Amino acid sequence: MMILAKLGLGVASSIVFASVYTFREGVIRVDVDEHRDGGSHVHFWVPAAAVPMAMHFVPKEHLREAASHASEFMPLVQIVTKELRRYPDTTFVDVEDGNDHVRVSTVGTKLQIDVVNPQENVHVAVPLTTVNDVAAQLAANAPGI
Amino acid sequence: MHARSLRFTGPALLSLATLLASPAIVFAQTSPTTSTTSSNSDRWLHVRVISTESKGETVRVNVPLEMAEKVLPAINKDRLHNGKVRFDDHEMNGVDVKALLDAVRTSKDGEYVTVQGNDSDVRVAKQGGYMFVHVTEKHSYNDKNGKPSEKSRVEVKIPMKVVDALFSAGKDELDIVAALRALSAHGGDTELVSVKSDENTVRVWLDSKNVSD
Repeated sequence: MMILAKLGLGVASSIVFASVYTFREGVIRVDVDEHRDGGSHVHFWVPAAAVPMAMHFVPKEHLREAASHASEFMPLVQIVTKELRRYPDTTFVDVEDGNDHVRVSTVGTKLQIDVVNPQENVHVAVPLTTVNDVAAQLAANAPGI
Repeated sequence: MHARSLRFTGPALLSLATLLASPAIVFAQTSPTTSTTSSNSDRWLHVRVISTESKGETVRVNVPLEMAEKVLPAINKDRLHNGKVRFDDHEMNGVDVKALLDAVRTSKDGEYVTVQGNDSDVRVAKQGGYMFVHVTEKHSYNDKNGKPSEKSRVEVKIPMKVVDALFSAGKDELDIVAALRALSAHGGDTELVSVKSDENTVRVWLDSKNVSD
C-alpha cells in the first residue's frame, strides 16, 4: 500500500513537474481558417518550451544550413524580441485595406500576428522568449562560430 | 499510517511549491532591468496613412523611439550601417547640405525660401527652434473662391536639434540614431509631418502614448 502511494506520488510529481516546465515558457498558438469550400482549418497549440528542446534533435547540418541563411538577421531578431518584451499589449503595425486586416502586436509577452481577409484568417502567437531562444540557437550554429 | 504519509507529502508539497514559484524566480533573474510595462517617459513615433480611395486603406505604425534607437544599429543592409545612412555627393546635385544647415542654424528666425508658382508654393522657414518646410501643389483649375485649388499640401516641422543630430555624422552620412535620440529628448507632443492630398492623408507625430488616435 505504501509502495503504491509512493509510486503514485512520484508519478503525480513528475506529471506536475513536466507540466509546469512545459507551460512555463507559454504556448505557441497557430490558427488557420480557410473560408473556401474544403478549405483547411488548422488549430494547434504547442508548448513553447518544446521548440528549443526539439532543435537539439535537428541534425547539425540542417541547423547549420538554416543558420547560414538566417545568420545575417539573427542578431536583429534577438534585439527586437528582447526589446518587444518591454512593450506588452501594444499594437505596432495595423493595416486595413478594404476587407483585409493585418496586425502585428504584443499580447503580454507574446508576439501576435493576425491576418484576416475574406479568403482566410490566420492568427499566430509566439512567446518572445521562444523566438529569442531559437534565434540564439541558430546564431550559435552559424558557420564560422 | 497517516503520520507516515504526512512524512512523504510534506517534502513533496514543498518541492511542488518551489517548482511553481520557479517561473517568477527565473523571470526575476533573467530580466532585472527590463520592465514588462511601458514606462510613461517612453516617446512614441506614430505614422498614420489614410487613403481616401474607395477601399479606404489605413496604415497605422507605432514605434517606441527607444526601441528604434537600439534596433537600427543592428541593421546593416545596403546604405544603412550602424544607424547611419550613406548618400553620394552627386545625389545632392553639388549642394553642400552641411554648410547650408550650418548657415540656417546660425541665422535668426525667419523665412528663407518663399516660392509662389502657378503649380506649387514652397516655404522654408526657421522659427522657435523648429525648421518648417511647407509645399503646396496646385490644380490647374480654381476653387469656388477663385483661388487655385490645392492638389496636395505637405507640412514638415522638425526641431532644429534633430536636424543638427541628423547631419552630425560624416559629410556624406545621415545619423538616424542620433536624430532619434534628439527626438526622444524633445519634450511635448509634436506633429512632424502632415501630408494632405487627393489620394492620401499622412501624419507622422511624436507623443508619449503607445496608441495612435
